[in-house]
Amino acid sequence: MDTREIDTRNYTALLKKYIETQDEQALYGAEQISKSFIKKNILPEEFVNLHIQALLEIYPDLHDKIKPSMHFLLEAMISYGLAHQEFQNLREKQLAIKSEILVAARMQKMLLQSKIPETDELDIGVISVPANQMNGDYHHFVKGKDGTISITIADVIGKGIPAALSMSMIKYAMDSFPENIMTTDTVLASINRVVERNVDPSMFITMFYAQYKPDTGKLYYSSAGHEPGFYYSSRLQKFKDIESKGLVLGVNPDASYVQDELNLEKGDIIILLTDGVTECRRDNQFIDRTEVIDVIKKYIHLPSQEAVNHVYRHFERLQNFQLRDDFTLIMIKKQV
Amino acid sequence: MNLQIQIDEKNNESFVHLSGEIDVYTASELKEALLPLTMKKGHLLEINLENVSYMDSTGLGIFINALKSAKEHASNLKLVNLQDRVHRLFQITGLNEVMDINTTIRGVDG
Amino acid sequence: MMNSQSCVTILKEWDIVAARQMGREIAKNIGFGTVDQARITTAISELARNIYLYAGEGKISFNIVQSLDTKGISIKAEDKGPGIKDLSQVMEDGFSTSGGLGAGLPGVRRLMDDFDIISEVNKGTTIVTVKWLR
Repeated sequence: MDTREIDTRNYTALLKKYIETQDEQALYGAEQISKSFIKKNILPEEFVNLHIQALLEIYPDLHDKIKPSMHFLLEAMISYGLAHQEFQNLREKQLAIKSEILVAARMQKMLLQSKIPETDELDIGVISVPANQMNGDYHHFVKGKDGTISITIADVIGKGIPAALSMSMIKYAMDSFPENIMTTDTVLASINRVVERNVDPSMFITMFYAQYKPDTGKLYYSSAGHEPGFYYSSRLQKFKDIESKGLVLGVNPDASYVQDELNLEKGDIIILLTDGVTECRRDNQFIDRTEVIDVIKKYIHLPSQEAVNHVYRHFERLQNFQLRDDFTLIMIKKQV
Repeated sequence: MNLQIQIDEKNNESFVHLSGEIDVYTASELKEALLPLTMKKGHLLEINLENVSYMDSTGLGIFINALKSAKEHASNLKLVNLQDRVHRLFQITGLNEVMDINTTIRGVDG
Repeated sequence: MMNSQSCVTILKEWDIVAARQMGREIAKNIGFGTVDQARITTAISELARNIYLYAGEGKISFNIVQSLDTKGISIKAEDKGPGIKDLSQVMEDGFSTSGGLGAGLPGVRRLMDDFDIISEVNKGTTIVTVKWLR
């Protein structure tokens, strides 16, 4: 006896029992049997056919109006069966794509991991979370032989895989520049030429690039259209935007940038971010930059890494745990 | 929210009136409407953003694309009546220095 | 073995029903069960409706085919319509159905056993599909 025959017998027995007793147990049996049919990929039309066979066995003289009506139902089920098979096929495809992306995301993470440099002067914290699996935000720290610490934060337009692909380009271009002998504005001018040559006309990248020189305690920086960061002066106990003019990368190959500087004193704090932070929406209202400062203020007494983690959790909750854009936040405290 | 695109063409000028939000969802439609207009030599394309309450970076990318295309085809692109929030985006990104942007009006909600 | 051929010209929506009826009758005579009859008929519907909607005119013909150990029904749908530019796209799940057009060609392929399609833009499309008796 093949499984189909066993199924038919079981189903017939259950149906018969239910018709006679109409009790819940038989209905529970129906639930179990339908689950096992789904597992065996039995299509709705075959199910209906099975029902017809069972009915005919129980009532060999089935009312002559019932039989065609059951047939009618069988015909109507064909399209449902097709839809079911299509969904199943699409679901398998989706799983395949998902696992492919997962591998790519892992590769990207490995490629772009940036260790926070060890230094007694600065307490650095960073958090970068993609909205989807792949991250279109970029950050990188490098400690030079002379102790100079360079900090890069960049945001590729859009998110997901296209953004992540462009980001790998930035990473390799940045790695190819000679270490710390270039000023911040020349670094941006060089990377801009690379980006302009290699991106789609509607694509662009914003970047903030800084170098901290421990011997002078100064932070040199340039911006290519990047969301302004914040500077907290411990002496004045005040926040200030780090404004710096410069065109986004990828628009004009001849764009030039300016280098600005900040004198960092003990307790001063630099906060760098991408617009995923300021573009958080709450009930469809955008939050203000002053609100971002308010949140940062709440955690500013904590070590930098803890502070950025808390700020992230705050905004994650605000957006119902569904980031709309990649989110990157860096906090740098001058310790001595 | 949707984006409405209204285009009035007169001789060698086009006036585009946009209202709504320019984001990932509406950007491609806007791109298809704008790009052909930037490809006519000597053409003036004026885009009124008075009723655009929000624009994200994808939207900004469309205007960068239009700017590049206008340069290439020797046409002119002009943006007028930007709301504060939208204008700020052009300022941060430095695009206000390379694009013809005129008269900022205040945002609807102040 | 006789090689009977029958065909229906598709011009009006009503012709879809005529094609279904002829196909079902042939399938029944070959010995297909009710479930397979319903599947074959749905496939005919899908092919005939494609002709009606996209080509305007065409024909569906039926053949009884014979292999070494079994026989089957072969359905041929021909039109001189606009043709299909991207065959792999229309054969992909989720493409035609997303517009609510029904099961589409992937559906026909699922309902039947063998499936072949030739299409040339501005010249037309020919689809041959077979269901074998098990």
